[in-house]
Amino acid sequence: MIWDVALRRLLRHAGTSFELDVRFASDAPRLALYGPSGAGKTLTLKTIAGIVRPDAARVCIGGRMLHDTGRGLRLSPQQRRLGYLFQDYALFPHLTVRQNIAFGRRTGWFNPGRAGTDEAVEHWIGAFRLEAVANHHPHQLSGGQRQRTALARALVNEPSALLLDEPFAALDIGLRRRLRSELAELQAGLGLPLLLITHDLDDVHALDAEVVHLQRGRVVEDPAMPLACHARA
Amino acid sequence: MRVTLHRALALLLASALPVATLAAELTVSAAASLTNALRELAPLFEAENPGTRVQLNFGASGALLQQIAKGAPVDVFASADQQTMDEAQKQGLVQAAQRRNFASNALVVIVPATAAKSPRAVADLADAGYARIAIGLPASVPVGRYTKSVLEAANQWGAIEPKMIGANNVRQALDYVARAEVDAGFVYATDAALMPDKVRIALTLPATRPILYPVAPLAAAPNAAMAQRFVEFLTSPAAQALLARYGFGRP
Amino acid sequence: MDGAWIALLLTLKVAGCATAINLLLGVGIGYAMAHGRFPGRDLLDAALTLPMVMPPTVLGYYLLVLIGSHGPIGGWLLAHFGIRLIFTWQAAVIAAAVVSFPLVFKAARAAFEQVDPQFEDAARTLGIGETAVFFRVSLPLAWRGILAGLLLAFARALGEFGATLMVAGSIAGKTQTLSIAVYEAVQAGQDDIANFLVAVTSIACIAVLLSAGRLVPGRVPART
Repeated sequence: MIWDVALRRLLRHAGTSFELDVRFASDAPRLALYGPSGAGKTLTLKTIAGIVRPDAARVCIGGRMLHDTGRGLRLSPQQRRLGYLFQDYALFPHLTVRQNIAFGRRTGWFNPGRAGTDEAVEHWIGAFRLEAVANHHPHQLSGGQRQRTALARALVNEPSALLLDEPFAALDIGLRRRLRSELAELQAGLGLPLLLITHDLDDVHALDAEVVHLQRGRVVEDPAMPLACHARA
Repeated sequence: MRVTLHRALALLLASALPVATLAAELTVSAAASLTNALRELAPLFEAENPGTRVQLNFGASGALLQQIAKGAPVDVFASADQQTMDEAQKQGLVQAAQRRNFASNALVVIVPATAAKSPRAVADLADAGYARIAIGLPASVPVGRYTKSVLEAANQWGAIEPKMIGANNVRQALDYVARAEVDAGFVYATDAALMPDKVRIALTLPATRPILYPVAPLAAAPNAAMAQRFVEFLTSPAAQALLARYGFGRP
Repeated sequence: MDGAWIALLLTLKVAGCATAINLLLGVGIGYAMAHGRFPGRDLLDAALTLPMVMPPTVLGYYLLVLIGSHGPIGGWLLAHFGIRLIFTWQAAVIAAAVVSFPLVFKAARAAFEQVDPQFEDAARTLGIGETAVFFRVSLPLAWRGILAGLLLAFARALGEFGATLMVAGSIAGKTQTLSIAVYEAVQAGQDDIANFLVAVTSIACIAVLLSAGRLVPGRVPART
């Protein structure tokens, strides 16, 4: 199993409660978390990444146990080595593109310098055609450039899997199509397991992803879903 | 909601208006060393003059003079030395003809009650053992001026001045000694007598000039008639007896 | 006017040290409060803001009781190190630091709370440890708000009077800061000196406030 995830979280806020009870297991290299807004997709993704604490969880990705409440094991997000692409990219506004991409390469108290001395960083800048904007700041970039920068930033650290939160939502149709196929190529080339959140079925088809359908915090079977495979829990 | 708001506003305004009060006020600015004695004397004066309320304002005589000079509506001024009153008189602030001396005092050196050592003479204070000495600021505090003249006469001012912790009034000097934040202090005998459990008198100093307290009504006193009566009251036998109880000497 | 320059230098020294202390304490505690979720957090926040609303003389009294020779802290220092804090410039620094602490703390907390947690989360997923996240992400994104708070705190420390007078007294050259010098000049009727000191203090405070105004957070660089 590439993906073996079970998590539980009860959220209470202003009188209402929301229970996340998600369980899925799959061997598919590309998995899509699909569902309406408010279903708990981002919460699930963040819990897998370790930046949100569940009440209980069992998370095993690519054979690596990241979280097991039963055994008292919980890796910090730093230790999980999962690449995460935020919905708004979360590019550090005070750093240039190059510095953003190089961010995870340094673990000290200082940010990477502006000079391009890291081979791996330069490789990704070239691969994503960001040479022209390497010294620009995020606010000076287009939507597509930001997405590629965020992706490069996550990939340069050689993660064991990639988690993406609606990676194409902010892009226009043409760009979306192009980046989708780029992502598919990338994933195939690197052999990197991919879990992405989307509410666009076109993404699912283009990436040939298996679907985990979430509704109100739970995985549901939906026979009305055309052409999608459902990952068994 | 609107009605209650209106009523509240009306009440607020009413309380702020200067409605003619039943009691006439008499404002007395007096040297800090007179605090306890005058607080006891004020009710006696009020009893003799029903309809008058005495407002007491204490501080260093120099500071009080500045307030008066800048227009504070004071009726009576009682200072701890002649020099401040002379200055007031020079500026035309007081009714010179009605100026009186009403008390005298002595200058003492005190140490904290817990202190191990006591100076046996003023010269002892120049020793390293006395690192901090509370002295009133000579520029504005009479007790500081008395201290300075006594020390200058004994040729000790140069040695002791570097150790001086300046006090803004005599009660502050007393407080510093009472808290044992200083090794010694110069205050009036009457002040030292107030805290026998916290300070002890090490030396009583002969003053180079007598410490005489003058009092006078102010030229611009809002309550001139009562001001005059208060000045006379301070020299009355009843007031003198009370002042004596606090350790003040005869004028 | 020699004494005035000495008072000015001393005031700058005291205010500078107090602000440096508050930089460490205010930023550290502000960060902890912005991120911490524990019972009683609001109560602690109110307690830490108290020195800003308390009358300086009340504060001065509490400090006097604490660091005086008979106090729990002062007595301990005296007994173990022979250190007497009252009437030293260090006591003036303590008084100035205490009254201006809330200005740094509140500004720092607000500045850190305005930093989108996504940035800190992103840094974590990239393998950066918590302390490094603070120095590389949280602090750089919050520094403007913090600096504005520091400048206000510096201005407040420049003008501190009540608490300083109580614990540091007024010793020319050692603890007589500008505000205290003004007070005594007025008491002694030395108006010309008082006027000069007031002018110097006012200019210093205005200069500080103008700088603080230029650093109000929210100045986003123009979008291209």
